[in-house]
Amino acid sequence: MAESSELAILEDYLLAEDAPLLEEMAEEDEEIDLYNEMTFGLDRDSMEEEVAKALAPPVKGPELSLVGKNEAAAVAEVAVEEEDEYKATEQPGLGAEEEQPMLEEMEEAGEEGEAEPGARHDDFADMEEEIGVDEQEEEEEEGEEEEQHDEDNEEQNDLGDPAVMRAVHSKPTLESLDSAVLDSRIGSTWGEFEGDDLDKAILQALDRGPPMSHMNLDFLVSPAQRGYLGSPGLKRPDFRMMSPKSFPQRFMRQQSPMMPRSMGSPRPYMPSRRASPLFTPNQSSGYVSPTPFRPMSRNISTPTQPLAMHFGPMSPSLEPPLFFSPPAGCQLKFSVPSHMTQLHPQHQRILNQRQQRGQAQSISPKKAWSPKADPYSGLMTRKEKDWVIKVQMMQLQSENPHLDDYYYQAYYHRLERKQAEEELLGGRNKQEPPKLVTPYIQKMEIYDSVVRIAGSLGQVAVSTCYSPRRAIDAVHHALQEEAAGNQRLRALHRIEKMFLQLLEVEETQRKMSLLPEEQHPRFREKKSHEVGRIYQALKIRACDSEEEAEDEFLQVLCVRKGKKLTARLLPHLAREQAEEILVTVTRHLPFLMRKDVLDESLPVLYGPLSEMVGRMTFSELIEVLQELTRPLAGSTELPLTMTFKNQFGISLLYALLSHGERLLSSDMPLEPHSGDFEKWTDTVFLVARELSQVPKTALVEPLFLPSNLLSLFCRYLDKQTIHRLEAKMECSPLPSEAAMPC
Amino acid sequence: FTSLPEKHLVLLRDGRTLIGYLRSIDQFANLVLHQTVERIHVGKKYGDIPRGIFVVRGENVVLLGEIDLEKESDTPLQQVSIEEILEEQRVEQQAKQESEKLKVQALKERGLSIPRADTLDEY
Repeated sequence: MAESSELAILEDYLLAEDAPLLEEMAEEDEEIDLYNEMTFGLDRDSMEEEVAKALAPPVKGPELSLVGKNEAAAVAEVAVEEEDEYKATEQPGLGAEEEQPMLEEMEEAGEEGEAEPGARHDDFADMEEEIGVDEQEEEEEEGEEEEQHDEDNEEQNDLGDPAVMRAVHSKPTLESLDSAVLDSRIGSTWGEFEGDDLDKAILQALDRGPPMSHMNLDFLVSPAQRGYLGSPGLKRPDFRMMSPKSFPQRFMRQQSPMMPRSMGSPRPYMPSRRASPLFTPNQSSGYVSPTPFRPMSRNISTPTQPLAMHFGPMSPSLEPPLFFSPPAGCQLKFSVPSHMTQLHPQHQRILNQRQQRGQAQSISPKKAWSPKADPYSGLMTRKEKDWVIKVQMMQLQSENPHLDDYYYQAYYHRLERKQAEEELLGGRNKQEPPKLVTPYIQKMEIYDSVVRIAGSLGQVAVSTCYSPRRAIDAVHHALQEEAAGNQRLRALHRIEKMFLQLLEVEETQRKMSLLPEEQHPRFREKKSHEVGRIYQALKIRACDSEEEAEDEFLQVLCVRKGKKLTARLLPHLAREQAEEILVTVTRHLPFLMRKDVLDESLPVLYGPLSEMVGRMTFSELIEVLQELTRPLAGSTELPLTMTFKNQFGISLLYALLSHGERLLSSDMPLEPHSGDFEKWTDTVFLVARELSQVPKTALVEPLFLPSNLLSLFCRYLDKQTIHRLEAKMECSPLPSEAAMPC
Repeated sequence: FTSLPEKHLVLLRDGRTLIGYLRSIDQFANLVLHQTVERIHVGKKYGDIPRGIFVVRGENVVLLGEIDLEKESDTPLQQVSIEEILEEQRVEQQAKQESEKLKVQALKERGLSIPRADTLDEY
C-alpha cells in the first residue's frame, strides 16, 4: 500500500507537470489557505482540506501545502486532531520558515490520525475530473489505510527530503500558547457528510454556497468555547448545531459541560458586564476556522464550470447565480456578526434595526446592487471579520480601565449619572447607557522570557510574540540618589516618591467609591495608613529660621511640585496633621514667600489651607496668627507686613482674619484660652496699622477678599481708619455706613 | 449587515476622503476598498473622483465609518463636477498658503520661527 501510494504520488506529479501554471496558482492558494487556517482556524469546509493535508505524505515541502479539495472527507477526527496542533501565528505573509512548523504539525497530525497518503492525489491537477470519483476513491482508501498509518508515517519520514520535518509530538508549544488566536474547535457538518453519498454532500455544499460565508459559524461553536460574549440579537436556528461524533476525547471533555447548554433552543443574547474567561489557552483546543473564500469557490465552481479554471481571486465571470443562490427559504442574507462578536451597543442597535427593517419589508426596490450582481461582497468571511474584531477588542481590554481608558470611563460615568438624574426627574424607564464591554480573554501565563540554564555562560532567550527580542534581562534599578548629596535632588526624589504614594491613595479612594458599602471601612483604614506614611515622609518638624534652608519639609515646599503635593494631600490628612502643616507654613511664610518669587506657585496651597482655616477653633486660630505677628529674627519687621506683598500671604492673612470674625460674630461658644482675646485684638490692631501704613501700590490683590473684614475692623477701629482701609483694600463699602456704631 | 454591501467612508491622514465598498480589513486596519471615489469637499460643495480599487495601509487611516445608504441622499452638500471642485480646492489651497505665508512672516518679524509641520496629519 505504501508503494502504491508512492506511485500515486508520482503519478500525480506527472499529471501536475502537465499544467504547471495551474500548479503554481494552486500552490499559492494552498499557502494562502494554510495561512487562513492557521489564523482563523478551520471550519467544516476547510476541514476536508485539512484532512487531505494530513493524509498527504510530506513528500516535498511545497507540495505539502497542497490542499485537496475534497469536501467529503470522512475523517473528521483527523482534521480535528490536527486543529489541535495547529499553531496560529498572526503574522501575515508567512515565510517559508513559517511553513515548516506547519508541516511539522501536519505530520504530527498525520501520525496521530489516520493518514491517507493516497488522498493527496486528489489534486488540483485532477480538478477537471469528476470530483465524486476522486472523493469516493479517497474514502475507500481511507478505510484501508487506517491501520497502516504508522507505516505510512514512517515511510514519510524516510523519504529523506530535507524539507520534511520530523513530526514531534509535543505539548502545546510556547508559540502556540502565545498566539492570540486560540479558538476552540468547531464542529462541522460532519454529521451530514458522514453518509456515503458524496454527491449529495457536494450538492448540499453547493446549495449552501457562499451564503455560508455570510452565515455565522457561531452555531458551530458553543458560546463558551469562543472568546466572545454573547452577541446580540440574531437567533440562529440550531439545526446546525451538531455534535460531531468524531471529536476527539479531549475536546469532548472540555466541551461536555458546555454542550448541553449550547444544544437546544437558539441562544438569546445575554449581555453581561464581564464574560467569564472564555479563552483557556492552556487547554488549547483547535481552531474555529473560517470558510476560506477561495477553496469554497473552487469547490463550487469547478464542477459546474469546468472551463472557469481559476484558483486565484474570483473573477467576475464566475457565475454568480451559483455562488449566491440563497438556500431555499432564506430570502435575505444577513451577514450579522456572529453572536460571539461584541460590537458597540449602538452599532448593534443599528444592525438590529436594519435587520428588522429588512425583515419587515421585502428587499428594498431601490437597492443599487442586487446580491446576485455583487460577487465581491463575500470576500471576508464571517470568521475573518470576527477575528479582526476580536483582535481589536483584545487591544482594548485592560486590567485597570480607569487608568488606561480614563476618558471613556469618566465619560461613561457622567452619562450614567445624567441618565440616573433624568430617570429620577423624567420618570422614564431606566435606560442603561450603552457600554462597550470587551470580551475578557484570559491573559497568557506570564513566563520568563529569559531562561537561565545552570552552568551556561549566558542567557537563552525565548522569543515569543509578546517579547520577541528580549535577549537580555535588563531590569531598571532605581538609583539611590540619597547618596548623591545634592539636597535639591534629594528633595525632588522624595517628592516623586510621595507623589506616587499619594496617587495610589487617591486611586484607592476612587475605587472605594465604586465598591459596595461593606468594604469601605477596610479601604478607609488602608487609606489612612498610607496617608500617615506619606505624612511621615514629609518630615515636618519644628525648626528655627536658621535651619530653614535645611529643613526637609520646607525644601519640599520650595519646589512647585512639593507644594502641589502638599495641597493635594491636605484634604486626606487628619485634623492635627493638617494643622501642623498650616502652622509650619505660617511660621515660615517669609521664607516660603521669598523662595516663591520666581515660581509664584504658593497660591496652589491657598485652597486647602483656607478650608483648613475655616474649621479651626478660635484658640488654634490665635496660635497661627501669632506666627505672623512674631517679629522675624534679626529684624523688627513683621511677617505680617511681608504678606502684603505676596498674593498668597495676603490671602492667607485675610482668610485667617475672616474666620476669626466669623467665629466672633457667630453664636457658637468659642472656648478661648486665657489671653486669646487680647491677642486677637492686638493682632487686628496690628493688621490695621500695617495696612494703613503700607502704600496702596505695594498692596497685592488677594486671591479672595472676604466680605467680613470691614465689619471686623469696625469692632475695634475708628471710622476714619475704616474708611482708609476700605479704600486701600478696595472692599465693598459696608451697608448703612452711617448707622455704624464705630 | 444587510444584504446590500455597505459603503464606507474612510478618512486618511493626508486629508483625503475615500468612499467605497469595504471588502477587506485586517488587524492593522489595512483596507481594501472597492469602487472607490475620492470625495473632495470645499465649503458646501463636493466632487467625486472615481478611483477604482484602493488598498490602504492601516497606519494612514484616521477613521472609517459606515455610510447609511438611506441617509446618504439627504445631505445639505451640493455635488459639483470634478473640474469645478478641483478648481475650488486649488483656490482654497492658495488662500491657505497665503495666510500661512503671512503668519510665518509675522513670526519672523518677531524673531520666532516655527518649523513647518509635517505634511502628513495636516490638512
